[in-house]
Amino acid sequence: MAQAVAHRAEETEKTALITGSEAIAVACKLADVDVITAYPIRPYDTVMQYVAKLVANGEFDCEYIVAESEHSQFEIVKHASAVGARVFSGSSGVGWMYAFEALTVTPALRIPMVVMVGNRALDDPGAFGVEHNDALAVRDLGWQLVWVDSAQEALDTALIAYRVAEDRRVFLPCAISCDGAFLTHSQGLVKIPSQDKVDAFLPPYQRGDLLLHPDNPITIAPQANEDWLMEIRRQTAAGMERSTAVIREAYAEFEQIFGRKYGNPFFEEYATEDADVVLVGMGTLSTPVKVAIRQMRREGKKVGFVRVRWFRPFAAEELARTLGRFSAVGVIDRDFSLGSPHLGGVLATEVRAAMYLATSQPPVLGFICGLGGREVTVPDVRKMSDIIREAAEGHPQPPTQWIGLRE
Amino acid sequence: MGRLFAVEIVYRGIFQKTLAKNISRGIVLAAHAEGKPGISFGRYGDSPERNGIPAKNFAIVGTDDVTLEEGMAKYEPTEVDISIAVDDTLCKGVESWAWYGLQPINRLLKPGGALIVTSREQPDALIAMCHRKEYPYRLAIVKGTPSFSGLWVYKDDHTDVRILGAVAKLLPDLVGLEAVQKVILAEWRDPLKATSAARAYERTTTTTVRPDQGNPEKPYQFELPKWWEMREGIAIPCIRPGQPMQDMDNHKTGGFRPERNPTFKKFTTRTMRPVVNFDTCIKCTLCWLQCPDSCFDVTPDGLYDANMEACCGCGVCEAVCPVTDCVTMVNEVAFHDNASQWEMWKKDKDAYQTWLNGKIEHRPERSHGFRYRGQYEEQTPEMLEIAREG
Amino acid sequence: MDTTATVETQPGVKLDPFKGVKKLPLEEFFTSGHRTCQGCESALVMKMMAKAAGPRTIVLGSTGCMYVANTTYYSTSWVIPWMHTQLGSSGSAAMGSAAGLKAQMRKGKMKKEPINVIAFCGDGGGADMGLSAISAALTHPDYNLLILMYDNESYANTDIQLSGSTPYGAHTTFSPPGATKRIMHHRWKKNMAGMLAAGHPTCRYVATMCMSYGLQGMNCVRKALSIGGPTFIHSLDPCPKGWDYDPILSHELGELAVATGIWPLYEVKDGVVTLYGKTKQLAEGQSPRLPVREYLLKQGRFAHFREEDIEYFQKKVDEMWERWLIPGVIPFVKDVEDERISA
Repeated sequence: MAQAVAHRAEETEKTALITGSEAIAVACKLADVDVITAYPIRPYDTVMQYVAKLVANGEFDCEYIVAESEHSQFEIVKHASAVGARVFSGSSGVGWMYAFEALTVTPALRIPMVVMVGNRALDDPGAFGVEHNDALAVRDLGWQLVWVDSAQEALDTALIAYRVAEDRRVFLPCAISCDGAFLTHSQGLVKIPSQDKVDAFLPPYQRGDLLLHPDNPITIAPQANEDWLMEIRRQTAAGMERSTAVIREAYAEFEQIFGRKYGNPFFEEYATEDADVVLVGMGTLSTPVKVAIRQMRREGKKVGFVRVRWFRPFAAEELARTLGRFSAVGVIDRDFSLGSPHLGGVLATEVRAAMYLATSQPPVLGFICGLGGREVTVPDVRKMSDIIREAAEGHPQPPTQWIGLRE
Repeated sequence: MGRLFAVEIVYRGIFQKTLAKNISRGIVLAAHAEGKPGISFGRYGDSPERNGIPAKNFAIVGTDDVTLEEGMAKYEPTEVDISIAVDDTLCKGVESWAWYGLQPINRLLKPGGALIVTSREQPDALIAMCHRKEYPYRLAIVKGTPSFSGLWVYKDDHTDVRILGAVAKLLPDLVGLEAVQKVILAEWRDPLKATSAARAYERTTTTTVRPDQGNPEKPYQFELPKWWEMREGIAIPCIRPGQPMQDMDNHKTGGFRPERNPTFKKFTTRTMRPVVNFDTCIKCTLCWLQCPDSCFDVTPDGLYDANMEACCGCGVCEAVCPVTDCVTMVNEVAFHDNASQWEMWKKDKDAYQTWLNGKIEHRPERSHGFRYRGQYEEQTPEMLEIAREG
Repeated sequence: MDTTATVETQPGVKLDPFKGVKKLPLEEFFTSGHRTCQGCESALVMKMMAKAAGPRTIVLGSTGCMYVANTTYYSTSWVIPWMHTQLGSSGSAAMGSAAGLKAQMRKGKMKKEPINVIAFCGDGGGADMGLSAISAALTHPDYNLLILMYDNESYANTDIQLSGSTPYGAHTTFSPPGATKRIMHHRWKKNMAGMLAAGHPTCRYVATMCMSYGLQGMNCVRKALSIGGPTFIHSLDPCPKGWDYDPILSHELGELAVATGIWPLYEVKDGVVTLYGKTKQLAEGQSPRLPVREYLLKQGRFAHFREEDIEYFQKKVDEMWERWLIPGVIPFVKDVEDERISA
């Protein structure tokens, strides 16, 4: 079946110039989402503006509800999903935090909602620019978290997210992170897959014996005491454990049906084959990093880059094995974890933890960079590369440094 | 390693919360007055207490800090020196949560431990209610009507201090009467309460309960499922719809019996049960309709049979019944099983009438709490008399 | 397809009023083995609500007594599907469920049939935290749903703390009468039903009820579910625990709340206000309004009241009956009314 569809690939696919937000709106339409809830906050809400247009023009049939708060936004889709509807929602920055209670209860209820986070700095002060702390705030709760760096990847990942989240072995929510402005507000050329390919890739959402419906009378989430909580947590953990394999399957079949290759689903490697040192990061900072690497390679500096896509589940062993090949690693965090080990960022802390059991353990340096939408510049990247080269050559460096800061 | 003492106070939720706390605190403070450290706590799982549903409060005391820590290492003690039931109907068993099963009132008692019960009953009546224990234990009765003290208004009928007096008598190594009285004066500044404690101390007598005495029934219990045996998504199947009932004589089916929660029966919440006179029932439906616990089975002949596995004894059915003495709340101690009254009535109507009148005639008045302002002031003097007389 | 159709309200389940207590269905859809207090009137509301709604119903329960006390994992007392929702989410839960069903039925992903959606909340979840979500739900004419607020006048589940729906002067763990302050809670109870009816003109049905009048209450639920669009019912439920009284009085206290005029029973149906039951009799002078002390002094939570407190309470209730634009419903006074009173 998948093969047959793949044949008709070219003639049915169109290319459009759209933003990352618009790409995800298109993915929602292709996935035939049933219930969508909107609430205004920059930068994610561009996706809802596009959805509203599609609904208004009769191109997309869904219940499009403008909620009165982010908390309601996520509670509404949670309950719509419980009665069997495919749902979509999203938020940014403090809006995401306002919804925090609703985000907290979703994984244990095994609600496979797919949402978009337009990454934004948290108040105060109010700021529209990108920081990853909003999405990262739910990293311990059972949310699958993925970062993308192009409009095309945003669209493709949204389809993959539904396929993974709604797989009965997983049944956990998934948040797709798009960097504010760089992805939510800038347009790129995107191949729009045909409906029949999407239908071949994405089966209908079946809740089975977890469906809340008079034909399947169940009671969901009664008050529990200490005799039960650990067992319930363990069940949710099992879903996250199984997610890794399901993600691999999904990417493999995606490539088969749509013909677009993403290689390793969990992280992208760039110029790593012969690199001696490597930078690690998430999201759209990949562009300046890649440009800087090309410059430095012309100067004979063998720097590579690893872009982490899936932060939850975190491909710890695989990433540790990969990073172990290099003589020094620099992790760029577009976020912070104040008071954390070595006063660094979230990604650096996770990478160090992943490396702990690795047989080869190069020094791992952390960089806090590009907060609040500040650009991560090519010179910034060169500077970070020089610092890790120093470390590689045996000159100890501070574990965490702020880059692009006026000091 | 010194000696460790554990006392549990089993009480009926919110309206006995203050009473249980007073007893537990009194024990620990008195022990402290004798130089022994201790802690007092209500079982967190029972909080916030419901009205009527059995709950527990614990007093743990050690002869020294290290020994006390041994006791504190287990949140809920696995064995106790004394179990105190501040309401005698608790002797029938305790079911605080779904899946707890029916837990005997003497479950945690050590060999030779003591069960203290507030009651007007004789030892034999209480022993018959308690499940059998594999080894002997002592039963002590603090004579008096079980005290439902209410919540915002505390009914000070001295039940708290009288039980403290009994504890001093039964386990002098834990607290002596002198220390108890000292604490009472410090806490309440009421010499009469100290006297009450002394009276209880003097008059408390104990009966030894042998392994061959008591309720022989094996209390029901449940085995909790493994994590992978539970349905995901915190989901569980709903209760199935009920069925019509069958008339055992003509095997006609009719009426309706709801299915009921199999792992939480709630009847251990009951201190009184409705007794129904089916001959005077006018089938007005009100007892059935107004019951918050859906405990009435509708019989094929259109009568309403309070299901004793489900009834928690609130008394609303008696309150709404328009017929005098058709539904009457009777002290739970007067019953030995949860059998169907309707079936008894069907079998032999005359025998049922005799049984019914026997139950209704001499029933000790029970109070579940506050009914009107000034009520406790009227009731306590009588109770204090009992306190003085022991 | 023409997506403008999505703003049309689908027909609800057809539910005629019950003709009398002897004609009630015998089936129970909320049954025994819940962990509520003896004489819990809110549990009675659950039972009657479910009986009135019938088997083709989904119930969403926000955090509160009817969640924590009612369902104890790994067990339940519900026969019809039930799901927990967060404290402030009754409005969102009802809307999400209704929207999910509607979309799937329209798109042929689920069998087309009317299914009742009921979300309940306590006074804490409704009159306090959930107010904005309930308000939002009531402005969506395109979803059939009922939000039922069972009001036991405190956060009785968490340890009996005062809520925006706790009556003046009541003793709660957050308003204990003290040596210096006898009345710690001096706010007057929110007029939820009136506020929601007045503030949501497209909401077709808002009512108050008290299950001491069970048949009337169940018929309110049936009207609310069949009229179409979002609806709201505010139920006053005597609470032995928080109000501190012998549970045998539960039913009587409900009757007294109505007979003293403290709790008016009324419906606002398509913009028309109707007082019903005992309240109608009070309004038409067919039966006398009892003094509030008859109600107050049967409850431990008012045991600290002095005469002046009882008088103040009586005065406020009298005002409601004598001065409000619509007694018990609209707390405004017309200028002319003012003149009449001052004259």
